[in-house]
Amino acid sequence: MKKFGKLEYYLSALVGITLLNTFLGERFASTTLVSILIALTVIYKGFVVIDHFMELKGANRNLRMLMRLYFVLFPSLIIVSAFY
Amino acid sequence: MKSHPISTSLGIFPKSWSEDKAGRIPGNIPIWVGILSELTEFGIFFAAYFIAKFYYPEIFAQGPQSLNTALGVINTIVLLSSSYFMAKAMSHIRLDNRKKCERYLWLAVSCGALYLLVKTWEFHWNSLQGYSTSTNEFFTVYYYMTFNHFLHVGWASCAILWVIFRLRKGAYSSEENSGLEALAVYWHMIDLMWILIFPLLYVLR
Repeated sequence: MKKFGKLEYYLSALVGITLLNTFLGERFASTTLVSILIALTVIYKGFVVIDHFMELKGANRNLRMLMRLYFVLFPSLIIVSAFY
Repeated sequence: MKSHPISTSLGIFPKSWSEDKAGRIPGNIPIWVGILSELTEFGIFFAAYFIAKFYYPEIFAQGPQSLNTALGVINTIVLLSSSYFMAKAMSHIRLDNRKKCERYLWLAVSCGALYLLVKTWEFHWNSLQGYSTSTNEFFTVYYYMTFNHFLHVGWASCAILWVIFRLRKGAYSSEENSGLEALAVYWHMIDLMWILIFPLLYVLR
């Protein structure tokens, strides 16, 4: 039997979060809490791809910081937009 | 005359960003110049989205309900899977397992093709519902963002085919795979942009 490794775990988590986000968006009106939850999960998804698929964890720290900053900045705007 | 490898000699980034001081650069410097340019381009799209949403909150609250969410979810899963296949291809070339590397690259390019098919179907479905770029501000932003992303997936899929061709010619090994890695990080960047686009256009009301 094939080993369920780190990449498989992260892929499952990413797919699970995508389905959860869709459920939240479909089931509930976009309350501030839902928007914050979605923004946080987007940050997590971005960090997983940056660190484990792009393999920036342990690579160039400035590129990693820049990529992670991007994935904090724009999801944060989701939270800001919830207060429009 | 002193020669410098391309990955450290372009002089575009400050010295503190060099591989010696800040750590290994996956792929090569030119691909990162491209990636940072693309991030800026998509950053402008995201800024346009938030500005438009500020001025037209009701249109942006209704917009996602007009879209086919199932197709958006399918494309998200397809792109996440493609990123996984690309990461697996990289792990196999590091083991000099070209056969498995090629297999995962074919899976990644298949995901790219599937994404393009689903997105084309979605554009068609939208037009059947009577939606176009000029329907309202939400759809202008939607087409602006998604068609641009569509083009990126299209040319990056062609690049995967090129990399498969090069792999078959023996261009990559566990020792030298920077070209393959450059494509891998570019592909992951495209996936990252979709990770942001999906909730903005399909989920948030």
